[in-house]
Amino acid sequence: MEYAIILDKISKSWPGVLALDEISFQVKKGTIHGFLGPNGAGKSTTMNIISGLLPPTSGEVKVLGQNVQGLQNETQKFIGFLPEHPPLYLTMKVRDYLEFVTKINLRKQDYKNFDVNKCVQEIIERCSLQKVEGRLIGNLSKGFRQRAAIAAALVTNPEIVILDEPTVGLDPVSIIEIRELILSLRERHTILLSTHILHEVSLLCSDITIINNGRILSSGPIEEIKKTFTLGRVLKTEVETWSDDKKDYFFNQFNIDSLDINKKSNSVELTFYLKDMEDIRTRLSSDLINMDCGLLAFSEEKIDIESFFKKITEKDNLNRI
Amino acid sequence: MKFWLQGCYELYTKEIKDSFLSPFVYILSASFILLIGWIFFSLLVASKDITQGSLTTSIIAPTFSMMRFVFMFVCPLLTMRLLSEEKKNHTIELLYLSNLSDWQIIISKFFSSLTIILFMLALTLLFPVILSLSGYSDWGVVSSSYLGTVLLSMAYISLGLFTSSLTSNYVISLIISIFMMLGLWFLVLSAATTSNYIVGQILKYFSDVYHYEHFVTGALRSYSFIYFFSFMFFFLFGTHQSLGRRNW
Repeated sequence: MEYAIILDKISKSWPGVLALDEISFQVKKGTIHGFLGPNGAGKSTTMNIISGLLPPTSGEVKVLGQNVQGLQNETQKFIGFLPEHPPLYLTMKVRDYLEFVTKINLRKQDYKNFDVNKCVQEIIERCSLQKVEGRLIGNLSKGFRQRAAIAAALVTNPEIVILDEPTVGLDPVSIIEIRELILSLRERHTILLSTHILHEVSLLCSDITIINNGRILSSGPIEEIKKTFTLGRVLKTEVETWSDDKKDYFFNQFNIDSLDINKKSNSVELTFYLKDMEDIRTRLSSDLINMDCGLLAFSEEKIDIESFFKKITEKDNLNRI
Repeated sequence: MKFWLQGCYELYTKEIKDSFLSPFVYILSASFILLIGWIFFSLLVASKDITQGSLTTSIIAPTFSMMRFVFMFVCPLLTMRLLSEEKKNHTIELLYLSNLSDWQIIISKFFSSLTIILFMLALTLLFPVILSLSGYSDWGVVSSSYLGTVLLSMAYISLGLFTSSLTSNYVISLIISIFMMLGLWFLVLSAATTSNYIVGQILKYFSDVYHYEHFVTGALRSYSFIYFFSFMFFFLFGTHQSLGRRNW
């Protein structure tokens, strides 16, 4: 397996604050890797370290096999970075801004032969900025500003693109457009995408890393992580009547971890969280019928990424207390 | 070297374009020339009644002394945003991640501010022209005064650039710069009050006013050049160290 980014025991501390505590994870080449975590978890600090903006207190970051600390100003050859706050000059026109970013990123060997106009035109087309290329960045909508910032991250045609919360603060239409843009980048780049919008991760990413309180909780393919953290089946039923004395019966009969009871106007919704993956659907539905609960609906819940993320971060927070 | 200068040129032209496309530079320049022009005109009118001394001592020297005082406010106003605004808007990250070195960023910003100061000084060239109409011909003093003003501006810009690198709040940067410049000015006043000759000389040497006055009177001293260039290097080096910390 070829990795584009390898983090090995990275720590970052400021006086009195340990922002990152020996975090390690890898990003596979050619994938969109989601970097998940609540606000203040350490996502932006990690991304700043990978891009070479911040030095780690200890540990090693390797980008395409090379140590980032040794690269200094050379990281832009490999990494295009969109920070949390897009670095835009609001008084510049989009084309002028992209030309400026291209010129200050030129390498010595490219300096004489590089066609800046051609490169900028290509980026403008890739990021669908043709309509606004002559407008001041300060007059653009947030969506277009974000596109311009992503375009700036792509001017050096880097192999790796790091996007720190690229859809934050955008309207739903712009969010969809930015997601489509990110998906289109997958063909040419490895993408590390930080977000706390879990739905976004399930739409875009094949692999994820979850960080909380400066520690990595899990890293790998989404489905594998879900399996690891999901303890058992989740069965959802809707019945006409329910009394608490029946609860003990079901707990005795089946390997149930917990039961959520949600009373509605004409029915009761029951969610059984099992301790394992044993298939008890037939027995459970029969028992609900036999005990005159009046079974109205029965289904198996696929645990969504939001509840799964909530579950593991809550568990980590509890462990820390 | 050519490649290094090309990088500086790209940032320098961006800064110059930004400055001359905003009304700030024009408002500042207009205020400066109105204030200095008014002082020059007042001195010119008053010189009719002066029977002793020359136009150099009655007009040129006081005008340039006043210019030094005005630059104590103009230079920090020009430099306050140079790096603090880049920090505030997070565009400094774009520069850090580019191929530009910290020195290239500093030099480009320094020369962009110096260009604006030279633009302002160019507006004052009208004064010697007016004086020449009345037969004034001591161009050596005028040239050395302009040279002194340029060196002083360069020193003030380097100080302003340094304070701008310390904070993302440009008002704080402005206040620190002005207080530091006032502090340097007060060194001369302290030198005059001390009874210890050596301490007095040392205090004088550290004050920009002392060195600037040499230029205004047409006396070019090598140690004044050394002073201004050391001052500049000290604060530009401080700016470099400040940018190097990067622990925002």
